[in-house]
Amino acid sequence: MGTVQLFPEFVSETLGLSGVLGDVVGSLVAAAVVGNIVLAFTGVAGPWAKRKITAAFTDRIAVDRIGPFGLLIIPAAAVQLLAKELIVPEGVDRPTWDLAPLVLPASALLGFSVIPMGRLGPVNLQIADPEVGLALVFAFASIASISLVMAGYASNNKYSMLGGLRAVAQNLAYEIPLIVTAMSVVIFAGTLQTSGIVAAQSDVLFSVGGFDVPTWYAFVNPFAFVLFLTANMAEIGRNPFDIPEAPTEIVAGYQTEYSSAYFVLFYLGEFVHIFLGGAILAVTFLGGASGPGPESIGFIWFVVKLWGFFLFTQWARSALPRVRIDQLIEIGWKGMLVLSFANLVLTAVIVGVIA
Amino acid sequence: MSSDQPFITDESRVVTQTRDSRMEGQGDRFNSRLREAFGSSPFILTKFDKFLNWCRGSSMFMLQFGIACCSIEMMHTYAVKHDLDRFGSGVPRASPRQADVMIVPGTIVSKFAPRMKRVYDQMPEPKFVVGMGSCTISGGPFQEGYNVIKGAEEVIPIDIHVPGCPPRPEALVYGVVKLQERIANGEAAPVTVKPYELEEFSDLERDELVETLADQIDEDELVMRYNFADSP
Amino acid sequence: MSLEVPDTTETDEVPERTPDELAALLGDLVIDRDDHLNAPGFVIRPDAVQETLSRLKQEAGYDHLSLVTAQEYENRYESIYHLKKFDDPTQEVSVVVPADKDRPVSESGEAVFRTADWHEREAYDLIGIEYDDHPDLRRILLPETWQGHPLSMDYDKDRPQIATLPEHANPLADHHRDAESDTMFLNIGPHHPATHGVLHLKTILDGEQVIDVEPDIGYLHRCEEQMAQSGTYRHQIMPYPDRWDYISAGLLNEWAYARAAEDLADIDVPEYAQVIRTMGAEMCRIAAHMLALATFALDVNGDFTATFMYAINDRERVQDLLEDLTGQRLMFNYFRLGGVVWDLPEPREEFFSKTRDFLDQLPGSVEEYHDLVTANEIFQMRTIDTGILPPAVAKDYGATGPVARGSGIDYDLRRDDPYGYYDELDWDVVTEDGCDNYSRLLVRMREVEESAKIIEQCVDLLEDWPEDERTIQANVPRTLRPDDDTEIYRAVEAAKGELGIYMRADGTDKPARFKIRSPCFSNLQTLPEMANGEYIPDVIAALGSLDIVLGEVDR
Repeated sequence: MGTVQLFPEFVSETLGLSGVLGDVVGSLVAAAVVGNIVLAFTGVAGPWAKRKITAAFTDRIAVDRIGPFGLLIIPAAAVQLLAKELIVPEGVDRPTWDLAPLVLPASALLGFSVIPMGRLGPVNLQIADPEVGLALVFAFASIASISLVMAGYASNNKYSMLGGLRAVAQNLAYEIPLIVTAMSVVIFAGTLQTSGIVAAQSDVLFSVGGFDVPTWYAFVNPFAFVLFLTANMAEIGRNPFDIPEAPTEIVAGYQTEYSSAYFVLFYLGEFVHIFLGGAILAVTFLGGASGPGPESIGFIWFVVKLWGFFLFTQWARSALPRVRIDQLIEIGWKGMLVLSFANLVLTAVIVGVIA
Repeated sequence: MSSDQPFITDESRVVTQTRDSRMEGQGDRFNSRLREAFGSSPFILTKFDKFLNWCRGSSMFMLQFGIACCSIEMMHTYAVKHDLDRFGSGVPRASPRQADVMIVPGTIVSKFAPRMKRVYDQMPEPKFVVGMGSCTISGGPFQEGYNVIKGAEEVIPIDIHVPGCPPRPEALVYGVVKLQERIANGEAAPVTVKPYELEEFSDLERDELVETLADQIDEDELVMRYNFADSP
Repeated sequence: MSLEVPDTTETDEVPERTPDELAALLGDLVIDRDDHLNAPGFVIRPDAVQETLSRLKQEAGYDHLSLVTAQEYENRYESIYHLKKFDDPTQEVSVVVPADKDRPVSESGEAVFRTADWHEREAYDLIGIEYDDHPDLRRILLPETWQGHPLSMDYDKDRPQIATLPEHANPLADHHRDAESDTMFLNIGPHHPATHGVLHLKTILDGEQVIDVEPDIGYLHRCEEQMAQSGTYRHQIMPYPDRWDYISAGLLNEWAYARAAEDLADIDVPEYAQVIRTMGAEMCRIAAHMLALATFALDVNGDFTATFMYAINDRERVQDLLEDLTGQRLMFNYFRLGGVVWDLPEPREEFFSKTRDFLDQLPGSVEEYHDLVTANEIFQMRTIDTGILPPAVAKDYGATGPVARGSGIDYDLRRDDPYGYYDELDWDVVTEDGCDNYSRLLVRMREVEESAKIIEQCVDLLEDWPEDERTIQANVPRTLRPDDDTEIYRAVEAAKGELGIYMRADGTDKPARFKIRSPCFSNLQTLPEMANGEYIPDVIAALGSLDIVLGEVDR
């Protein structure tokens, strides 16, 4: 795609660098910027927004004494957790035990490399735009379950083990419907490239009273959208599918034995995953960074969509009971899989008939 | 720091082994390797200490830990009306590995004491304990009980006592906020050594009781020995 | 599961047998008579316990073993089996089994009533009576390494003790050592977010499935019986019942003691005080059921969710009312023998209007819970048809309260063995016949509405009560000394079920034996029946639906 300049190219051009050096510096700077944006989101979401949102759902106030609106809880919690003793229990399987908390956030952050996060002024916040972008992002995202298994297995704790095993079963059951549903989007767009999928959603579906409804696939095929949303919740392990963690059943699941910095990494990884889930959803069904106004503020719309998805996960957390592991797998294999294939066939027929 | 002011004890009042062992070995929990390396407390480290203490005091994860009557009031403290989370300390974690503060809400009995000690040991440093209710102070209304440990302090060190049977949620909020204040001011717990320690069975002094149990308990099994006659 | 006795009694009227007829039925098993204030008592041979119990159960219809009391006299040990009928709990009989002072052994009743299992283990643990034929006679409340039996006469409270922290072995490991299946032993508790306190479940898993679960209790054994035995009837015992079932069911518990002691000392309670007691007790029931709902939501939904917060908020409202009435939020200590400690708070109108406000908003909140919880499809998926407790099994284990009523057993002491002001008021006993976790929750939620009805009627009555007839306490002597060797067993319907007190007076101002029949103790015993073969989350849900309070289980 020669028409859209990617973020690393923009950086190297701005710095006046070219060749290999330009590529390396541009990529590093771009990755650092995008990574920090995502980490900043999770920093706000983890210790503060999650509490505030849950509190709003349950008639409470939550943190409000530390700084304005309790915002200073963010550095306080981060430093406090990092400054704690790191307990390495006897009998853990190192280095698997140490790697697991790194793999989780890393896999989610890697996923962001191909997400078109929209324009902010002259900058197009996308690091890479390979032709297999969507496949790549799913591949990255599913590394997460390996991390959970590693943690569960290496912790030498039965609750962790149960959590790890649950994570595998859950991911197997939901990855397939998730990807099959995403395939229907690919059939619509005719490309795996993330920027291409976003571009394909920029037409006008119909106009209501002068307001143009775009061809976001959520509007074109709401059925697939709901399927994808559900599978996505299971994929990122949020209520009602938070069973790998399931605090009241298996204590804290795979992260039971982790303390201090490793716990922070897990906590971080989970939130990055929620945001990655939101990002995938935005790209495939909600028109990526598109929205009213000029294209140069697209990034803001993208952020709104991410936080909208985060809000949704927290809403589900406050309101919905957790399903049981066997029910979850039943829903996955017997329900979601069948429906997602039906959706695929339906999409193929529609596309075939119309196009 | 409490280490600046030595813990003053009135020697004449130390009458039992139990009390004696409480007074020894109280250390400074905030001692860092960094400071050991520097030897003294240079300006930058004291500022860093202050910042760390502020962080620790501002954000605390509680251990989700219910024992008895007081845990009901503890739930109320977390919930809508009292909302402990306003002070940045209302997120209960189920796993002791991720908790900073343990609220001990209830009576400790002989069967539970070793388990509570184990849970306390599983928490990472720096850790703090709020003793909630009279039972954690002295055994409360059950002090005469044949099975009741005369206060949680027999087993683990306690930073803040909240008296009451049970204390009202407001009292617990006050206790927790006081604890936060103390942490932020860098005051460590004055008591760290516990008379009822977990020890291996073979380490116990061979007396009549140990002889009787010798064929039931493995040499390396962890046990806790209660000297009820010696308790306060 | 032991389903040997199908429930055949369909009629409401159960023929009552006179003590002489019972004596004839038991024939030469009886060696003496030892009548209690509440029931005829038969002293039987220590080796004929099973025969006696099964005759009484099969032929006379005494299908509810409410309590097993053990005690030590100067010259003998004694176990008392308190039997009742589920269809008419006013028909009672006590089976007294003496045991030798030097070698206290008697036959176990476990083969006839499953519930005797734990009760006899407790008797062994605290008193030291051994039971022949008992399947598993171990200590239940105290650590296994405990020395001596603390409620026996020669126990030395000051002796040192040792408690162990053992690593638990998988008792089924050898049975399942084939290639296909392997089992895992999992300790749930004593510190675990779902155990509602300090309960230890020894769980054996096959994958996620539970193949065996054994509740291990005693982590909150606070010697409540010893405490009561060392307090005087008049004042010193009353504060303790609040702490048995501490989920703000305080007044219900106090009533159990008050009822037993009043009947023992023959005290009449003024009608006005009875109305206040009834109102306060039902407020407590609402508070207790709200917490049951909250923690059940915690178990099924996970974390501190909206349902939990809303239910706690409603509890907070009831607690405000109770605080106005009694002066405390949780440990009320409001009842006195012969009445209550003080009248309603002044100004009375304000209290009545606050209570009415609460009652007015209650249907709205109950509706909200139905929207949020019981109508939720995921919730129904989780709870319907899980944790099944068939009625016959429930009766065999002596389950009572919402647990029994959730299994379709129409048993409520407020109606069947009336006390207080309940028989003058218009309300219904709630039953559900789903026998599952969902039914037990529904029973609680509907009972909240019934309690609200009762409170409303009480408020009406109290509002119109003539000012010069507001007697809150009967005349009770400063020191109570019930006659030597009078024994009584009385129960009330507490939030969790039948809460009974057995007391034996010895002529002093303190009871010689004070035994608490805790509903949770019997209800918890049914957990393995409900949980075996289910998944871990169902065990957690079943435990939540039993709504146990460890303070009452362990006492």
